Amino acid sequence: VIAVAIDDDPEVVRPFTDGITMPVLVDREHLLTELYAMSNVPTVVWIDERGRIARPNSEAFGTDTFREFTGVEASRHLDAVRAWVRTGVVDVEVDDSDDVVGDLSDDEVRARLLFRIGAHLHRAGDAEGAERNLAAAVDLAPMDFTIRRAAMPLRGLDPFGEPLFDMLAEWEEAGRPYHGLAAERTDDP
Amino acid sequence: MTTITVLADHESTADAEVVGDRVLVAPGELPRLLGWTLKAQGLCQDDVCVPLWDRAAVQPGGDAGERVDLLGVAAALGRPAAFDDRSGTLAVGAPVELRRQALAGHTAPAFELPDLDGVLHPLEAWRDRKRLLFAFASW
Repeated sequence: VIAVAIDDDPEVVRPFTDGITMPVLVDREHLLTELYAMSNVPTVVWIDERGRIARPNSEAFGTDTFREFTGVEASRHLDAVRAWVRTGVVDVEVDDSDDVVGDLSDDEVRARLLFRIGAHLHRAGDAEGAERNLAAAVDLAPMDFTIRRAAMPLRGLDPFGEPLFDMLAEWEEAGRPYHGLAAERTDDP
Repeated sequence: MTTITVLADHESTADAEVVGDRVLVAPGELPRLLGWTLKAQGLCQDDVCVPLWDRAAVQPGGDAGERVDLLGVAAALGRPAAFDDRSGTLAVGAPVELRRQALAGHTAPAFELPDLDGVLHPLEAWRDRKRLLFAFASW
């Protein structure tokens, strides 16, 4: 397991890694969300021994900590991972990852570049420049959590408060857009 | 002349002149900023050259030695770019077609990222093994 924090500051990540032995990398430029077309966390990708994507972007949790909130059980994915490690058998058949993951739109790509500029200016202490670029990024990709929610702490907004609930309402309304396999939810009809 | 920041494969700064929507730098700066060299046959990296069908889009002055437009170079390389002129910050993304082909062909795109102590690790470091890439965040 290689954990990658889509975060601006390694020191914010460090408390999450107490007692963890897996490698933890920090992706402050959001390279992964561009290269792998990720639009939210947690997202997992299975990569086989030959460097092939065995199972594309999927929503999955390591524990049931947020189960009541997300409606996603961790065990289903964990069982599938164990079976894959033991037997090499993948639990979902994906012929065409274009259909599952889809491509980033031009706006989603541009939003990533503007986010990168905004985060850089935030680190450089240019609050106005950061806001200018982050706001423009959010306008281009309002349903992308790696843009809109990730920008919240950099814009002085609470990523667990009102701005998140506003975003979630819009995201539900839009049919929960996600680049990858959505997890089965226990509250799904 | 102004100092710009380039966020590409790594972060660097350069002297540039911004004219309209062009970001002009000395051609000798290209290898350092974007990893490519401007030659007669096009943009080159090691033994690979990308021909330039419209040289004026990359080098508006036309003559060898004239300054090159970083946005034109990015476009010629198929890389998306965004320039914030008020702060002089240019971000250059991954080549769009290579990224699309990799994902459509189920090939894991290569990357290299630092750990918490700043030590860089390429995805290749764990080759020949099954890897579960887990993206998470504090937000």
